[in-house]
Amino acid sequence: MSAYARPVEVLIDELGRLPGIGPKSAQRIAFHLLKVDTVDARRLADAIVAMKENVTFCERCYNVAEGANCAICTDPARDQSILCVVEEPKDIAALEKTGVFKGVYHVLLGVMNPLEGIGPENLKIRELALRVAAEDITEVILCTNPNLEGEMTAAFIASKVLAPFEVKVSRLASGLPVGGDLEYADELTLGRALEGRHGFS
Amino acid sequence: MLVTRLWLADFRSYERLELDLSSGLTAIAGPNGVGKTNLLEAIGLLATLKSFRGAPVESLVRRGAAAAVVRAEGIRDDRDVLIELELTRGRTRAQVNRQRLRRARDLLGALRVTVFAPDDLALVKEGPSRRREFLDDVLVALDPGADRVVGEVERTLRQRNALLRQGHGRLDAAGAMTLDVWDSKLAQAGQELTERREALVGELVPLVGESYEILAGRRSDVAAVYQRSWSQVTLADALAEGRRDDVRRGVSQAGPHRDELAVSLDGLASRTEASQGEQRTLALALRLSGHRLVTDRLGEAPLLLLDDVLSELDPNRAAALLANLPPGQSIITTASGLPPAPGGGELADQVLAFTAPGVLA
Ligand SMILES: [Zn+2]
Repeated sequence: MSAYARPVEVLIDELGRLPGIGPKSAQRIAFHLLKVDTVDARRLADAIVAMKENVTFCERCYNVAEGANCAICTDPARDQSILCVVEEPKDIAALEKTGVFKGVYHVLLGVMNPLEGIGPENLKIRELALRVAAEDITEVILCTNPNLEGEMTAAFIASKVLAPFEVKVSRLASGLPVGGDLEYADELTLGRALEGRHGFS
Repeated sequence: MLVTRLWLADFRSYERLELDLSSGLTAIAGPNGVGKTNLLEAIGLLATLKSFRGAPVESLVRRGAAAAVVRAEGIRDDRDVLIELELTRGRTRAQVNRQRLRRARDLLGALRVTVFAPDDLALVKEGPSRRREFLDDVLVALDPGADRVVGEVERTLRQRNALLRQGHGRLDAAGAMTLDVWDSKLAQAGQELTERREALVGELVPLVGESYEILAGRRSDVAAVYQRSWSQVTLADALAEGRRDDVRRGVSQAGPHRDELAVSLDGLASRTEASQGEQRTLALALRLSGHRLVTDRLGEAPLLLLDDVLSELDPNRAAALLANLPPGQSIITTASGLPPAPGGGELADQVLAFTAPGVLA
C-alpha cells in the first residue's frame, strides 16, 4: 500500500515502531509534522539525536546519565547503603516524586518474561550481585511492578541472587493496585508502600 | 443488578440500538440473522468481559468503526447504576456511573449473568476444558477475586511452558533456578484454584441432581467428581516430581489446566455413554445449578440469558425449563416463538420482535 509520498511513509513506519504508537497515531503524528515549521521539526530531530549522543546508562546503576554516572549516584546527600531495585529508569522518576526514598537505585532494564525470551541473564541481575558484593549495602528494596512478571523477578532476586549475602531484602508493602505499574500509582500510595516495606518472604 | 435499559453503539452489526427491558422475562423474537444473539452477547460482555460465543473482543467492534460501546442502565441495591464498556482494538475500558475504572476487570461483579447457549451440549460432550471453564465462570460470579487466581494460573502456565520450550528438552543450572521461581508461583496459585474448584463442585453436586430431575421429569443418579491431574499431596510435590518429564516434553503436565470434572448419569460416564438428549439436559442442569448456587449465596439472581435454547430441546423439556425458570430477570431469544404459558396467556412479560437486522417492530 503506497498511498503517500515515500518520505511520509518512511516516517510513519519509524513512528509506528515506537512503544504505544499504533499505525493510526503514527499517521496522525506524521501529518502533524508535515504541517509544522521546518525549524520546529528540526528542533525535535535535534533533541532525539542529542539525547542519543549525550545520554547513556549510568555505569553503576543503569539509570539514564549524562556521563559515566547518573545524577543520583553522584549526589553526596544520598544514602549509599540502601538500594532500590527497579525495572526501568522511568520507575526511578515515579519513586523520586514521592520524596520518601533517600537511597540509591539499581535498574534491571527489564523483567523476567520467558514468553518474550527474557531471562535473568538478559537483565542487570549479575551486575546487582556484584554491587551487593562490592559495596557497603545493608538493605535492598525490590520495587519491581506488582504484576506477575515483576513479582517473579523479585522472587528470583531474593531467593537466588541475594540469599548468600548478609543484606536485608524487602518488598514494597501491598496496597499498590495488583497487576498495575509503579508509574500509574499515585505518589501518596507509592510513598506509603515504600515506607511500609516488609521483609521478603 | 436489574438491567432496565441497554444501549449499543457500533457493536457487531448494530450501529446504534437503544431498548428498555422488563424486570421479568423478555423474549427477543425474529428470524435468524437479525442479531438477536448479539444483544445477549453484549449484556454478557458487561458481566464477564468476554464473549460467551468465544469471539475475540476486537471482533465485536462494527466493521469500519473505531470503538464499540455497550452501556446498561439499571438498579442495584435500590440505586440507579450505569455501567459501560468501550471496546477499541487492543483495549477495553470500563466505567461505572461515568467514572472510569482503573482496570476493566474491576467491572466484574457489577452485573452477573448465567448464559444458556445452543452449544452448551459441548459442556458435557466435549473435552474437559469446557467444564473447567464452567467452574471458573461460576467461581468468578461468586467472587470476582477468583478472577485474579484464574488469570495468574493461566499466565504462569504460559510463562512456564515458554521457559520449558526454550530448553529444547534440556535444562541448565540457570534455567533450573528460573524454573524454581515459576514453579513456586504455579504451585501456590494452582493449588488455590484447584481447592476452590473442588469446594465449588461439592456445593454444586446436589443442585445438579435436583435440576436434572426438574428438567427430565424423572429421578436419576447424577454424580460429578472433580479429578485432579496429579496424585501427590500438593501441586508443589507434583511439579517437583514431574519436572524432568516436563522439561523433556516441553509442557506442564500437572495442574488445574489438566484437571477434569467427570459427570456421570446413573453410573455411566455422561460424556461417552449418555444419549444426546440426556447430555443436553445434563448441560442445562449444570448451568441451572450454577445459577441457583450464585442466587442462594449472593441473595440476588444473575440475569439469565437464554440463547435459542428452545430449538434444541424436545417440547416437554422446553416447557419444563420455561416453567421452572428461577425468579429474576431473564432474556430469551427465539426464532419460532415461545410456547404458551402453562395457565394460558403470554409467557413473556415483554416481546421485542426484530423484523430486520437492528429494526424493531
Ligand atoms: Zn547511577
